[in-house]
Amino acid sequence: MMKKHILIAATALIATAATAQDFRVPLEKTFLAFDTTMDMKVKVEQANKLALIAKKWDAEWSTHYYVAYSKAQLSYMEQDAKKRDAYLDEAEKEREDAVSILKKDNDETYVLAAMIANARMAVDPMNRWQKYGELFTQNLKSAQEVNPENPRMYYLQGVSKYFTPKQFGGGANAAMPYFEKANGLFAKEAGVTDIAKPHWGKDKNEYFMEQAKKNDKG
Amino acid sequence: MKHTYSLLLFFLLPFLPLIAGGHTISGKVVNNRNQPVKGASVYLDNTIDGGTTDSVGFFSFTTDETGNQTIVASEVSHATAGQPIVINGDVTGILITLKANMSRDLDAVVITAGSIDATNDKSKTVLKPLDIVTTAGSGADVVKAMQMLPGTQQTGPDNGLFVRGGDANEAAVIVDEMVVQNAFFSGAPGVATRSRFGAFQYQGVAFSSGGYSARYSQALSGILELNTTDLPDKSTINLGVNMAGAYASGVKKWKNSSLDVGGGYTNLSPFYEVVKSNFKFYKVPQGGNGNIRYAWKPNKDGILKVTLNTQHNLTGVSIPNPMRAGADTLNFLTKDQNYYSNVSYKQMFKHKYMLYTAASVSRNKTRSEFSNVFNMDNVDYRNQFRIEGKRYMNSRLNLLVGTDVQNFGQERTMEMQDSAKTIYKQDFNEVLTGGYAELEWVPVNRFAIKPGVRYEHSTLMNVDKVAPRLSMAIKTGSHSQASLAGGMFYQQASNFYLIAPFMNGYNDLDMQVATHYIANWQWSQDNRTLRLEGYYKKYDKLVLEEGAATFDPNTYRVLTPASNITLTNNGSGYAQGLELFWRDKKTIKNADYWVSYSYIDTRRRYMNYPTQATPTFIANHNLNVVGKYWIDKLKTSVNATYSFASGRPYYNPNIYNVTDHSNFQTEVTPDYHSLSLSAAYLRSFGKWFTVFYISVDNVTRQKNVFGYRYGANGEMSKIVPALYRTVFFGVNMSLSEFSKDEL
Repeated sequence: MMKKHILIAATALIATAATAQDFRVPLEKTFLAFDTTMDMKVKVEQANKLALIAKKWDAEWSTHYYVAYSKAQLSYMEQDAKKRDAYLDEAEKEREDAVSILKKDNDETYVLAAMIANARMAVDPMNRWQKYGELFTQNLKSAQEVNPENPRMYYLQGVSKYFTPKQFGGGANAAMPYFEKANGLFAKEAGVTDIAKPHWGKDKNEYFMEQAKKNDKG
Repeated sequence: MKHTYSLLLFFLLPFLPLIAGGHTISGKVVNNRNQPVKGASVYLDNTIDGGTTDSVGFFSFTTDETGNQTIVASEVSHATAGQPIVINGDVTGILITLKANMSRDLDAVVITAGSIDATNDKSKTVLKPLDIVTTAGSGADVVKAMQMLPGTQQTGPDNGLFVRGGDANEAAVIVDEMVVQNAFFSGAPGVATRSRFGAFQYQGVAFSSGGYSARYSQALSGILELNTTDLPDKSTINLGVNMAGAYASGVKKWKNSSLDVGGGYTNLSPFYEVVKSNFKFYKVPQGGNGNIRYAWKPNKDGILKVTLNTQHNLTGVSIPNPMRAGADTLNFLTKDQNYYSNVSYKQMFKHKYMLYTAASVSRNKTRSEFSNVFNMDNVDYRNQFRIEGKRYMNSRLNLLVGTDVQNFGQERTMEMQDSAKTIYKQDFNEVLTGGYAELEWVPVNRFAIKPGVRYEHSTLMNVDKVAPRLSMAIKTGSHSQASLAGGMFYQQASNFYLIAPFMNGYNDLDMQVATHYIANWQWSQDNRTLRLEGYYKKYDKLVLEEGAATFDPNTYRVLTPASNITLTNNGSGYAQGLELFWRDKKTIKNADYWVSYSYIDTRRRYMNYPTQATPTFIANHNLNVVGKYWIDKLKTSVNATYSFASGRPYYNPNIYNVTDHSNFQTEVTPDYHSLSLSAAYLRSFGKWFTVFYISVDNVTRQKNVFGYRYGANGEMSKIVPALYRTVFFGVNMSLSEFSKDEL
């Protein structure tokens, strides 16, 4: 009886050791830990881990993709303008690494480029909206050409509309069609579980839909 | 039982490091001032074993690696650093020092001497379109907005930018690296007109009040550079109506190209109707304009732009006779047809090379009728070409090399309205060729240097000139820097003289030259900028009229063979001054304000001056306080500008001593004051984004005087603007392409 247990335990350990060689497990675990917290300290820790994962599994485009994503997110949360730009410098570098592995951009790297442009703008909107607003739009357009079914593209557009003042064509009402469109596409994506194929955003989109509904009179 | 446990342990032993980690590695990360660095990633190189530092810079992680390893620390604001460690047990007390990431910790060093950087973004842009239209007193006119910046004189009765002691023709307006021949609408003498540039046609406006790049020449003072917009974001329709007319334009955007067609009709009747004008307009300024613009991006890093536009205008005004003082006025009619075209192409190659080429053709035809004095038909033209290449050796070093050709000239027929009906026909045609090279080098993070040299040749005068230029900047702190700029700037005699008949020939003339020395210090942080600049400018070989018996103070005179003058380069002078600029977009939420103050001391002998004197367009002190405030609740922006200038010198023949030239232009006018207010209200009507705007210049109706004219019998008349106070309102509506196709 006991022998059997030992064997099971040993096999399990060996199996863990073997799967640890696959980047998907640590990547998924770290990404989820990053994406499900709002604690800046934890975010920084997990982003650092993501960077180590990308160092180890350097030939996987998705590992670099997630580092870029995490740095862009950190930039949004950071207060110091210079640090925000520095995070985005890192995000851009990692995004380029991802693209060079892919040989050319795919829809997800375009969406990422749009997100980085948006984060750049957010550092100094008054002076930057013109340049980075255009980059944001361009990259989303490019993403759409590759894959019109990418929900994250519409989600980002929705968020951007949501935070644009009403007199400039933004606001909750204007954002709603984008969130709805994204929502439908997120549903189609439900079967995707492979972390190497980015599929984040469903919860976030739902959150913003709720917010937009609440504010649709404002 | 015991036996089985020990067996279990035995079995698990090799895997234990995987579960718990073998050795603990801990220590601290600090910066070079010994302060803790938090959030740093500390790891063993080529492994995923690592941790993150806490708020006191402490890190701890476990690893099963042993032997010689490299421990690396990286943090976003610092340069990554590593050091070797040997692991054969727990390692504690590691200290890693990170240097601040210079490129981010310090703003990149930018050469600012001479050029005004009113924004905090590190582009060349000084004022963005929105900055210009929200500057009260600018009337959405690009050039007028520049007069709110240091180094320029306040608006007077005449057109143009008067930069640091220079006359209006000593500053050049440049669009997409092409010189603009007629930057302003033609008007009557003494009635200032708008520039031809609306704020929204340009993505950026850069103004250099001296020490500018070797790319340009033929401007003793400075350069106003406008860059047209590239591809628009989306298709739009734009309509507007205001007190000066109505306009409509449409932009069609395709994937990689766009076509922009616009037209307008101007009629200033309502404008001159609502307020009392100092002059009588018997033909209110009116006209039409049309423009076509095509932009094409053949690839990601290239853009072709083609612009064609035409403007037609007619004005008839009864002005105080500039030839004589007193009560008499004369009728002045001017009809103006302007054509301008520009083609430019820019291509980047692998971020290593840039090629830019542009060509432009412009032609302006003006008919002026000075009743009972003369009628004049005038055609001026300019054809130009430029090609340049830039090589980016690396991010710190690049070299610009280029050449440009300017062919310009004028043809003029004057019919004197005297009994003899004398007709004078004059013309000139000039070809200027130039070549330039400029190196931009940032040898270390805190220091940048830009040496340049320009060669130019005038065919008409058959002279060759070599103009060296140099500018540099050094960081004096993490948010401040000092810059120096200087060089030689050549300019040919103005068209006024090139077309004038004079007794000697062109070969006797040389180019005028100004030598600039500029020093500046700038502090800039978080949307606040403080800038101090001092300069000294020396003028040599200014064109001087010699041979005239008496001094004629009329600046609108026309030289005819009867004037009997000899032109020389015997003129000279200097200008020196101090300027201060403070802009703050941070302290007050939704507010942006700036203060610009310029002090100038300048004297020169040029044109027909009998001796060195301060020119009539110079006020020693100029002050502008510009404020903008956005009221979010009302969706309204309110803007105010207060402008002050000390008195300008004028010529008083009653005190002027002809023999020793004392008391020449020594009297000064009263100070100039003007308070301008403007407001814009934004709202959407369905898909139409609408802006209502109103502006009032010189709200208090201060009766500003720009000078005096004296008649033969000692009578005196004031030189005043056409309007003391102006009121302007209008509405602009734009419809953007409905973005359904995005969904």
